[in-house]
Amino acid sequence: MNGSLLKYGWVTAVLLVGALQLSQAWDGATVYFGLAALAGFAALPLKRIVPGGLAALAVMVLALTGGFFLARGASPDRDPTWVLLDTVPRLLTAARPAPATPELLVPGLLLIIGVSTGMVLSVTKRGTALFVPALGVATLYVSAALLTTGRADRYGLVALTLVVVLALGWLIIDRRGPVVPPAVLATALATLTLLAFVLPSNGFEPRKLVTPPITDIAISNPLPQLASWAAQGDAELFRMRGPEVPVRLVTLSRYSGASWEAASTYGPLGVVDAPDLPTGGKFQDASVDLRITGLQGEWLPGVGKPQAVSLSDAMVDPDTGSLVVAEGLKAGLSYTVRGVVETPADTDLAEAQVPAAATKYTALPRLPFTLAEYARQATQNARTPYEKAVALEQVVRLNRRPDAEAPVGSSYARLETFLFGAAGESGAGAGTAEQFASAYAVLARSVGLPTRVVVGFQPVPEQNGERIVRAADATAWPEVYFSGWGWVAFDPVSGNGSGPSAASKREVLNRLASTTAKPAPTSLASVPPLVQPTAVRDDRAAAPQAPKGFPFWAFTPLLVLAALFVARTSRRVRLRAAGPVGAWNEVLDSLQLAGLRPKPSRTVPDVGGEWGEAGARLAVLVDQAAFAPSPVQQENSWRLARQVKKAVRRKASWWRKVVWAIDPRPLFRR
Amino acid sequence: MIDTGEVSAFRDLHTRLADAVESAVRGKRDVVDLVLVAMFAGGHVLLEDVPGTGKTTLARAVAGALGGVSRRVQFTPDLLPSDVTGTSVYDPQTGQIRFRPGPVFANIVLADEINRAAAKTQSALLEVMEERTVTIDGVGHAVPDPFLVVATQNPIDLDGTYRLPEAQLDRFMLRTSIGYPSVEDELDVLRPGSGAGRIADVRTVSSPREISAFSGRLQLLHVADPILQYISELGTGTRTDERLRLGTSTRGLRTLVRCAQVYAASKGRHFVVPQDVQDIADPVLAHRLVLTRESVLSGVTTSEVLADVLSRVAVPKPATQ
Repeated sequence: MNGSLLKYGWVTAVLLVGALQLSQAWDGATVYFGLAALAGFAALPLKRIVPGGLAALAVMVLALTGGFFLARGASPDRDPTWVLLDTVPRLLTAARPAPATPELLVPGLLLIIGVSTGMVLSVTKRGTALFVPALGVATLYVSAALLTTGRADRYGLVALTLVVVLALGWLIIDRRGPVVPPAVLATALATLTLLAFVLPSNGFEPRKLVTPPITDIAISNPLPQLASWAAQGDAELFRMRGPEVPVRLVTLSRYSGASWEAASTYGPLGVVDAPDLPTGGKFQDASVDLRITGLQGEWLPGVGKPQAVSLSDAMVDPDTGSLVVAEGLKAGLSYTVRGVVETPADTDLAEAQVPAAATKYTALPRLPFTLAEYARQATQNARTPYEKAVALEQVVRLNRRPDAEAPVGSSYARLETFLFGAAGESGAGAGTAEQFASAYAVLARSVGLPTRVVVGFQPVPEQNGERIVRAADATAWPEVYFSGWGWVAFDPVSGNGSGPSAASKREVLNRLASTTAKPAPTSLASVPPLVQPTAVRDDRAAAPQAPKGFPFWAFTPLLVLAALFVARTSRRVRLRAAGPVGAWNEVLDSLQLAGLRPKPSRTVPDVGGEWGEAGARLAVLVDQAAFAPSPVQQENSWRLARQVKKAVRRKASWWRKVVWAIDPRPLFRR
Repeated sequence: MIDTGEVSAFRDLHTRLADAVESAVRGKRDVVDLVLVAMFAGGHVLLEDVPGTGKTTLARAVAGALGGVSRRVQFTPDLLPSDVTGTSVYDPQTGQIRFRPGPVFANIVLADEINRAAAKTQSALLEVMEERTVTIDGVGHAVPDPFLVVATQNPIDLDGTYRLPEAQLDRFMLRTSIGYPSVEDELDVLRPGSGAGRIADVRTVSSPREISAFSGRLQLLHVADPILQYISELGTGTRTDERLRLGTSTRGLRTLVRCAQVYAASKGRHFVVPQDVQDIADPVLAHRLVLTRESVLSGVTTSEVLADVLSRVAVPKPATQ
């Protein structure tokens, strides 16, 4: 009774560690998984009535039925098999970590229940060598590693814990059973450990096996709507709780010369595709709770670069981070968005460069000469990309006024009127945020700055713990990408948006003004940057999203060595329990380790006779145990084996003695 | 199943016999053991040896030790079958045809230089060895029990001899040779008054009845399945060896099992171990193998081939039953 209590306690510990590990692939599902891990014990009372296999079957049928009812909501009117099978691709295309919705939890819960049942039933048998628990927990561990791309066990600590717990189980609980499994187990464990470390980095990714549902959504350009929002004024759009950050509605990165276009293909949030331009080195997480009250359309307001959304049907364009809900927004829709907001310091930007290859963000089909020349003149004294960006912000803002009544549009023609129109012309020198942002983006692109336009909402002050965003808060702003720092917002409307500080911009403008008299440098490109951005790397290493700092794989050899030692020890424990035959196998192990492995055609007395009286006596016992009709054990064969082993070890060379305890070869001896 | 008590009784008997025989035949304990193994296993021995190494002495000493009758037949080209088996003669006193037993009616028959006799005579002897009866005029006459034929063959000086065909060599359970004694043993033999070679001094330590009883019981000695498997693999090894024209027959392997049983018991064990099989494989199997012509020319012997096979086939691994 005491023994079985110990055994079940051990299985529970192993299961809980595995379940905890797997639950990290979901958001807030730890309790469900912990409970599911114990579901296997339900098979125990059943096993008293029916055979073990039938009990396992009953538990699994129950689990599958429950899983079907849980997942049914996601795809109604389909047959149960389809519903259950469909949960796997759903999970693989869901956000990462997956939200704890029923249909996404089902595959994980079923896996745990299956493993748990198998493990619990396997240890009820006597002498099963506790092989199944190791296999089961390895399955859970690898699943977790794959689902989280290795983030679930970044430091290998869970793997180490599992190895230790399993080893304890083998050494303390399991002293029976066949001799081979430890070898198999050690190999399997070592392989799995290796896999868990190597897999995420060498790019195996189960999500690639499933095509994520890419949705084509032709959504109208929301820029013209800025005018209508401006007209609506106080109409409430949505409410939010959280830090004071600009809310982004949609990011526009394609410009045709006539208008801006939004991305048209969207996938589930969390799919592996990284954005085409990497996130900057300094950023912070921002999480806001939103409740839609009046906003319409498909665009879902979010903050920064979205990392997680509590809506399971939200989709994202990975490059821009624009969120959409295909069914459209409804009043009362509540959700939480967690996003990454890039926060470069002003000093970081001063010498920052822009990527040359980002042609997507500098494309200007059939750019009119006037605009190009205007941009060139405006930035001719600017030395760095940042100076150019600041100069353009000033140039677009100067002498132009925001006007909600101004004609809409962001074509070259409209922008030329906006920038150069004669006084009295409709829309000359006046525009909504659409014209300001568009004009800035076109000019910036023409001088090689990767630029895009964001439609969103200005930060609003908090009232009673809530921020009420109204139609008048809608705006648009351009963003410029700086290598190593990400997208930086500029504000050509007012000059004081969420981007670089006004002081920094003023400083740049003062410098530009003072250099106007001096001759312009002959070549901008030849001006060396004053400071090499070496600090960038350090900052990145410290960032939570760049797990490159510590070489975790360095632990792998240690883990392998530990696994080998455990396997060898466990083999010895087993052999010791196996009487004279086990003792003889121990002698053969030591002979192999010493490089004196006898030919298989040599008999036991022949080999044993070479190692003195102890060997000869052991040989007699072994032959008797192996070939006599009813063996009787008279002498302590293990003691004899130890004597022989000592003699053998004395003959081994020094390097064989060094690797003696961890040499894996005896594990594979047949 | 035969138990440890019975086995230790047998071992005592075996030791007593071997000690008694050794008082006449010095320093040849292994050959003595083999001859005794053949006797208890119900087989016959072929000694291949040059003259003067003690073949006759050995046979007579064994006969003396077990208290049975021993006879010697010198095989010559003109020896007739009836000279071996016996014949029917007319008894003038009773007026009846009476069977007069030949020299094979003995516990130990020494058939000296068996290859000198014509094939007909050889086969008469071999038939008795196999059948253990002599049939004359339709009447069977059983030879005594135990019945051990020790045939000798001179491996040199083969002119005018009739080589025993392979099929007939198969009738001998064991083939071995005595060989010359070691220097010490030879000095012992040469020393006058040492008692070596004096059959009359061999103590009778057993009886034919006791021998017969044991030889029946020993067939029940335990042989584990892995051992049988090993023996079978040895047989396959000889059959697949390229240097051999003919490997071991199943009868040969059966004989090996029987000899291993007796051999194991003679070592005081109530079960057979692989070492037993290896120890007696050569005397039991070597003479049953037939070399190819090429191997004969290259000078290899069947014993060498068999040693190769033994070093090639893995012994059964000790495993808990």
